[in-house]
Amino acid sequence: MNLEINVEESNGIVFLHIKGEVDLYSSPDVRKKIFEIVKHKAPVILVNLEQVKYMDSSGVATLIEGLQQSNKYNGRFALYGLQNNVKEVFELTRLDKIFAIYPDRDSAIGKKDA
Amino acid sequence: MQEPIISIRDLHTRYGNREVLKGINLDIYPYETLVILGRSGCGKSTLLRHLIGLNKPSQGDILIKNKNLVTASEQERDNILKNLGMLFQGSALFNSMTVGENVALPLKEHTPQPDSTIKIMTRIKLGLVGLAGFENFMPSELSGGMKKRAALARALAMDPEILFCDEPSAGLDPIVAAGIDHLVLKLKKAFKMTIVVVTHELESVFLIADRIALMHQGEFLFVGTKQEMKASDNPFVRQFLERRPDDDEVDKDKYLKSLVGTL
Amino acid sequence: MNLLTRTFSRAGQQFVEFAVHLARICQLCAQTLVWIFIGPLRGKKIRWHLTFIQIVRIGVNSVPITGIIIFCVGLIIAMQSAYQLERFGATIYVADLVGVSMTRELGPLITAIVIAGRSGSAIAAEIGTMKVAEEIDALKTMAMNPLGYLVVPRTLAMLIVLPCLTILADMLGILGGMTLAVVNLKIPFIAYFNQTASAILMKDFLTGLVKSFFFAIIISQIGVYQGFSVSGGAEGVGKSTTASVVSSIFLIILADLLFTMLFYSTL
Repeated sequence: MNLEINVEESNGIVFLHIKGEVDLYSSPDVRKKIFEIVKHKAPVILVNLEQVKYMDSSGVATLIEGLQQSNKYNGRFALYGLQNNVKEVFELTRLDKIFAIYPDRDSAIGKKDA
Repeated sequence: MQEPIISIRDLHTRYGNREVLKGINLDIYPYETLVILGRSGCGKSTLLRHLIGLNKPSQGDILIKNKNLVTASEQERDNILKNLGMLFQGSALFNSMTVGENVALPLKEHTPQPDSTIKIMTRIKLGLVGLAGFENFMPSELSGGMKKRAALARALAMDPEILFCDEPSAGLDPIVAAGIDHLVLKLKKAFKMTIVVVTHELESVFLIADRIALMHQGEFLFVGTKQEMKASDNPFVRQFLERRPDDDEVDKDKYLKSLVGTL
Repeated sequence: MNLLTRTFSRAGQQFVEFAVHLARICQLCAQTLVWIFIGPLRGKKIRWHLTFIQIVRIGVNSVPITGIIIFCVGLIIAMQSAYQLERFGATIYVADLVGVSMTRELGPLITAIVIAGRSGSAIAAEIGTMKVAEEIDALKTMAMNPLGYLVVPRTLAMLIVLPCLTILADMLGILGGMTLAVVNLKIPFIAYFNQTASAILMKDFLTGLVKSFFFAIIISQIGVYQGFSVSGGAEGVGKSTTASVVSSIFLIILADLLFTMLFYSTL
């Protein structure tokens, strides 16, 4: 599979680094990882999409599930570093209104207390 | 030059003695919208059926992403087809299922996605075509235009790289038809798809096409951009653009013969 | 002379057409059975949820009508045989006659004919309608094989349902005969029951079941075949539906004749 997922934890923030293409066949792996993190009720989950060249609607749907799960315990679930064509998918489906989306890691962390 | 995503090479089809396609050659490039234009019975629907693997041509090759659809095994063909979406003229929604189940069907069938993700994907797709909230409706409860939209959502379910549309505006009133055309435009921009449309409706052609291929009696008379088409002096292209009917020449003897039988 | 040659050529043509149809049905049947029995080993899945839906449609919903018909047939057989047997004062043998004819012949046959009329036609109509509405084409372009998605569930459902219905029909038919015997002929219930039990052999019952398996294949394959060969809109669906009933009943009777000959001569 051309998808790598790494989980990093620092200062109570869980980073999910995704690398590669999130498509119909690889997004279940992302889902599994997200659900593992959500199970431990991580208060802040930041998904790093800097290395994601392509994401289809299954990837988007998977992230929505993650958001939904973290909302259940009032966690924060945000995305950062979207490449242009990935961003377009979010805009087209108007999901940029639902997700908190930041340009980079620092701004995503900085918003923590806001 | 960019590598074509679909390449049709020397395609022939015969039904008995009648040759429907007479050696078609055409390259379709990634992310373009190509409209195959022609009058009824010119062979454009037959060509489309070949492109989506429903019929096998008598001769010739169809390469989709460099894989030959004509000679592919069942397994290979299915893998090619999973990358294609098809919007049928009559929508072809499964009437025994709800709209949502229709859209979810290919995902359930072909992908490892869990049901909850599929549900969200289905809603996203239905939202895209303007049918949010209709997932539990049966196709028979929808109007013609809504059915087309639902069918489009189903065609897009698998995020296909290539979308085929057969007469997308057939049987719809002009306003609804224009809505479908604009929807296709919007989706094209969003999904970076290659779109192949078969139609005979000029208005929608000039709206959505990047390139146009005009078919007549089983051959392409013209392939080029809208501007090139408008500037073309091919008599049939002109006739098509100017919507002139065929000349009504009457062969006296033939006509009499057709009326009285044998002379 | 002209008329004669025309008649013969028409007959010959129809025979050839019939043979072609039959060959295609056999091919379809072979593909379906391969999918059911060998497919799962080669990673072709059987869709049990669709099969279950068909079991309900074909089987469960057919119980009342099949039951009523076969009960009436039981009554009729009992009356007709009682009329003959009364002359010899041997009305108790009504039990033998009803029991044996039900299990060996009438149970499987009547059930098959009712199901051919009720469910075989429904299969043809449903698939035909899907064909006309391009739904079959849509399935194919979604890389879903209509064989696995439509044909196998229906065939499998029929294979499961028809023998079950046949067992039920056997019992209800005997019950019909029993009702007449008890009410009209004043034969005690227990006497009739014992007489029936001693008359029916396991063999009778099993040959009936074997037949019903083959009838199931005939009904489902003809229904599916006629559905797929629909052309030309709603009118075509009507034609194919009718054709499916006529040809399945014809082939059922033909198969029944063959089986009866086989069992009669060997068992």
